[in-house]
Amino acid sequence: MTTTSSTSRGGAAARVIIGRTFLWAWLLIGLVPLVFMLVTSIKPAGIANQIPPAWIFQPTLDNYAAVLSPGGGKSESFGQLLSNSAIVSLGATALAIVVGVPAAYALTMRDFRARKGLSSWILSTYMFPPIVAVIPIFVFAGKLGLMDTYPVLIVPYAAFNLPIVVWILRSSILQLPYEIQEAAMVDGASTWQVLRRIIWPLLVPSVATAAVLTIVLSWNEFLFALSLTRSGAKTAPVGLQQFTGMYGTDWGNITAAATMIVAPILVLMVVLRRQMVAGLTFGAVK
Amino acid sequence: MKATAAPSDASLTVDSSRLAAGRTTAGPRDRKPLTWKKRSTPWAYMAPAMLVLLLMTVAPAIFIFYSAFRNDKILGGAGKFVGLDNFIKAVTNASVQHAFLITFGFVAAAVILEMILGFALALPLAAQTRANKVGAALMLLPFAVTPAVAAMVFKQLLNPNYGWVGYYLGVFGFPKGVDLLGDPTSAWIVLIILDLWQWTPFIALILMAGLQSLPGEPREAAMVDGATPWQMFRHITFPAMVPFIAIAAVLRTIQAFKTFDSFKILTGGGPGESTEIINLGIFRVGLQSFNVGLACALGVVFLIILSLLVPFMLRVIGRRADPEEM
Repeated sequence: MTTTSSTSRGGAAARVIIGRTFLWAWLLIGLVPLVFMLVTSIKPAGIANQIPPAWIFQPTLDNYAAVLSPGGGKSESFGQLLSNSAIVSLGATALAIVVGVPAAYALTMRDFRARKGLSSWILSTYMFPPIVAVIPIFVFAGKLGLMDTYPVLIVPYAAFNLPIVVWILRSSILQLPYEIQEAAMVDGASTWQVLRRIIWPLLVPSVATAAVLTIVLSWNEFLFALSLTRSGAKTAPVGLQQFTGMYGTDWGNITAAATMIVAPILVLMVVLRRQMVAGLTFGAVK
Repeated sequence: MKATAAPSDASLTVDSSRLAAGRTTAGPRDRKPLTWKKRSTPWAYMAPAMLVLLLMTVAPAIFIFYSAFRNDKILGGAGKFVGLDNFIKAVTNASVQHAFLITFGFVAAAVILEMILGFALALPLAAQTRANKVGAALMLLPFAVTPAVAAMVFKQLLNPNYGWVGYYLGVFGFPKGVDLLGDPTSAWIVLIILDLWQWTPFIALILMAGLQSLPGEPREAAMVDGATPWQMFRHITFPAMVPFIAIAAVLRTIQAFKTFDSFKILTGGGPGESTEIINLGIFRVGLQSFNVGLACALGVVFLIILSLLVPFMLRVIGRRADPEEM
């Protein structure tokens, strides 16, 4: 790889072109599964799994209507599954924020000697494999009669997202100028008043990021929802897997349901791209 | 090691010297003995979060360590203490050994390929052009798709009778009606491709952010000095990127060890047991055969293996994400 200055300019240009070609080839090929999902979901009945694939057809929303309509021999409507997903995700997010904000605040208190050790412990729970937690929780939930209820998903989802929530919020609090807390303390404010009146208003954008991440990760969760629910609290990603049984091989219905699961989080993630990556790396990459 | 490490390294491990250092930097207010109320306040704020985490991580860990020495069945009432039986079964069983082996193989292959491809994608993507804004948004899409849905869609694309992949490969002269998930080798290739499709963007976006945060001066100086593009990459860009590479690799390794959805949905561990990674194995033994003791013994082994990753995580994530350390 000996390059003189004249060929190195040509080499650099070639390198840039190769790099860009690879990037855009990757991006376009990567769209195929999503294109398949979207296109199939708007095909009229009967041609969804036609081979060769139909590309010219009258688009229709019939599949969406069919999936969302209640009854029709299905044990539960897909709308119910989506609503279960939403309840569980929002519940887990609310719990994670409610317990995460005070914890993050405590972990910034300068008098708190255990703060470093506790921060590390909370971060290290991210390693905890869900498959190891699901068996004990399955046994406990059975004994406590909590099987197939919302809390049996909400509490684990909140717990598994707490490392992300606490680390995002803690680092945001540490980046606020400490003087404003100190000034309030000198004026006689309690720690609760400092948190409520001073820190919380400044923390709202970070709370929003942490909340969106928790919603997305809870919405996407599969293992716990598969193991701990039967029908009452079943979430949409689990319900989708049973569609092959429910609808035979009606790909139109399956892809319409898949699109409805993916669409809301796709929008959230694309809008908040920068914050998502920062959040998923615990704030290590900004 | 602690004596030679840089201050920021040493401060990542919890030890008394660090706590002492923390006290001296905290200022004179700290020298007053703390009242009981002052001491307990942070613990009160911590309590709810600790309770949730104890319930969902520490309590399950205690349970599996306890059950691993018993032969309880979920549907068979209480069993009894059986000593190391479950562990002996776990380590001597050929399919368990196979499960651990292919788990490591999968994690290594996925993480290494994703790091290489992610870097190759991040380099062109880091240039701040208008096209790349669209590119970064497109990059995020696969990574934003619910993993269970992604696996489902892949399964449809690969359907031997109606799938797009089989059909369009057939157009280019490949044999038709091949069930790619029916053969161990091609099933593995599909599982890896799904993982690459879904997770390489995560790596690429981390490395892109890293590349964009690098200062321009060293590169400009090297260019003036006549460095070749390869020399600039090897001696300037790459060394500066090491922290970002470490973050991406550690996070991705931990996530890859947790992979469950794609295997469960695409192959269910098959054909045969050829793709039954340890997560599927524990699921089958514990929640389908209801052999809690054996599943917990496997869980204990798996948990211990993953715990070995914690120091790396605290080092590369803890150091960069913690404003107190900077």
